[in-house]
Amino acid sequence: MAGVRLEHVYKKYPGSDKASVTDFNLDIADKEFLVLVGPSGCGKSTTLRMIAGLEEISEGKLYIGDRVVNDVAPKDRDIAMVFQSYALYPHMNVYQNMAFGLKLRKFRKDEIDRRVREAARTLEIEHLLDRKPKALSGGQRQRVALGRAIVREPQVFLMDEPLSNLDAKLRTQMRANISKLMKRLETTCIYVTHDQTEAMTMGDRIVVMKDGFIQQAATPDELYNHPVNLFVAGFIGAPAMNFITGQLSEEGGAVRIKATGINVAIPAGKAQLLRDKGYIGREIIMGIRPEDLHEEPVFIEASPNSVISASIEVSENLGHEMFLYLNGLGKDNVIARVDGRSQLQEGQNVKLAIDMNKIHIFDKDTELNILEV
Amino acid sequence: MNNTRLQQLQQMIVGSVEIDTMSKSEWVKAGGAKLPESGDQLDLDQGFMLVTKVDNHQVQVLHMQAELTLLEKELLSWLAKQGSMSKSGSVSASEMERQARKLGDWLQQSIDAGEWRAEIPERFELHHRLFDGMIPFLLMSEQAENREPSYVELEKVLRSYLSDDMLLIPLREREWLILGTDRLLAEVETSDGDMIERGETKEALVSLATGLHQMITEEWGGDCHVAVGEPIIPTESLVYAVATLRETVNLGRKFHVGMHVHMPWLVHLERLLSGIPEPVRSRFMDEMSGRQDLFTDPETVLTLDAFFCDGLQRKRDREAPVHPPQYAPL
Repeated sequence: MAGVRLEHVYKKYPGSDKASVTDFNLDIADKEFLVLVGPSGCGKSTTLRMIAGLEEISEGKLYIGDRVVNDVAPKDRDIAMVFQSYALYPHMNVYQNMAFGLKLRKFRKDEIDRRVREAARTLEIEHLLDRKPKALSGGQRQRVALGRAIVREPQVFLMDEPLSNLDAKLRTQMRANISKLMKRLETTCIYVTHDQTEAMTMGDRIVVMKDGFIQQAATPDELYNHPVNLFVAGFIGAPAMNFITGQLSEEGGAVRIKATGINVAIPAGKAQLLRDKGYIGREIIMGIRPEDLHEEPVFIEASPNSVISASIEVSENLGHEMFLYLNGLGKDNVIARVDGRSQLQEGQNVKLAIDMNKIHIFDKDTELNILEV
Repeated sequence: MNNTRLQQLQQMIVGSVEIDTMSKSEWVKAGGAKLPESGDQLDLDQGFMLVTKVDNHQVQVLHMQAELTLLEKELLSWLAKQGSMSKSGSVSASEMERQARKLGDWLQQSIDAGEWRAEIPERFELHHRLFDGMIPFLLMSEQAENREPSYVELEKVLRSYLSDDMLLIPLREREWLILGTDRLLAEVETSDGDMIERGETKEALVSLATGLHQMITEEWGGDCHVAVGEPIIPTESLVYAVATLRETVNLGRKFHVGMHVHMPWLVHLERLLSGIPEPVRSRFMDEMSGRQDLFTDPETVLTLDAFFCDGLQRKRDREAPVHPPQYAPL
């Protein structure tokens, strides 16, 4: 087992004046499950491929354990990879697929057999060992691909969107399986995905990337509740955080945010911070999570300074919860997540109270979270 | 190593040399790599250890006590590696490599001369192995120069993946032709053993090539591009197959960035587009500026692909969802 450390790592492709990965610094602890997440082209796969040795590092140092591995060939890095395309060896049966890497490394036959059978038991594919890949379902193939990596007992697992080819139901199931497996194996795992739900549910820690830069590296809870900038705030969470451009003003000792359809007071602690940083009178972006808009009468009565009115353009009832797409607040639709048993209907006007203790305020120019930085 | 050689080595390094055998765990405990290989070396307080042989449980080492420079150690390590490699196979590895390189040079010359239909002359030692049906794979390594695999290493890995009767032929720098027996296609099938249809053959070839790419990438040597063709009788059409596969990889790299496995039967349109002179293409692109929708519409692409598909043009004209003459200006 080993940790992984990236020190000022850059990736620049020949002929490109812009780096694909810029000044990537990260210390990944031994046994940690780290998720790299971000939109397409953000550099997450490139970073993983540099760790795997499939891409050369243009600048900086990469450590696996205490060893600098910049110039170490992929096969000598003691890592195992699982890719999106989990290509199995089609002419070999499941047992042979899983044993192949060990055979190549000249492991003893009994040791190979022990590892393959143990991994097959863990992945519940013992009954498939004699089958050829063509006779397997997508989920079974994926488990064999995982098995092929597991038998290696590597220092680090690298997974690049390994669930992308599975249907939604299987994805959810495999997501839980991989999490359980990694906890059991106690091996460092670096997992790339563009799916923030996967990231939030699987990672001990998540690195959000954009345009080759790390935006924030934190636990799922920290990312969700304390995003450092507008990008992270918008990327993490479904439905996404609502953003409303407004102006801060001071009236009768209270700091208020004013925007189309909104005039609400900011709690004292946050207000003081905004005063200290000189934001009174300036335009800012307010961020509100959909679940921080409340339609329950008890909440509205208790929060007279943060009540807003809007009309429901569309409502989506998922049974246990309902999404309301609201008009008349700021420029864009604002989404509220309310109880599925609520009787609210499209076209109806609704009163909602904002939980002002949970709001985020971003600088309009730098897009940094003023209350967190 | 016999006593004479041991003494020769002692004289050369001006020091003592002992042959020692240790278990793998002892080797690891002494600071050696977890998976020892011939040529691995280990500095000790007194002297230097060099792995000469690795068995299932044990490691044979030469324990040398002498003042050696880094270069001398590297040379000894290299010799040990070569020694272990040449022991495998009935034809020595270096002889096989020589024969394969000779054939590779001829293939390259034939392609350069435009003799794509040339048959392999009988003078080549490997000629007798090229009469059976074989699947041609072209492998282009993306590894940095200093990580280019040796012939022997690569052949060993490919034998494990394909079978002992495969052939590895070096073509150019970081470019290799791999010939695998066409019996592999039957092994891809599940169990019923029925004859496989043409469409299924292609599907099986894709999965073999994808597996090969994955194996090279994951288990062994890093990133690469792989192209695969339909089975051939190499004596008759190897030059053509190599030229086609090389063109396929080049088109794949140009038009399907991010893909690493390429098939000749999937790059018809790309071949056509690639043949358009640059000024004509630029002019067309200028005129079509803002009309990228044409190239992302699957139906249009499918129609163009079908229309220009080799040998099936007339038949596919009828099947195409949009009538082809609409695209005549292309």
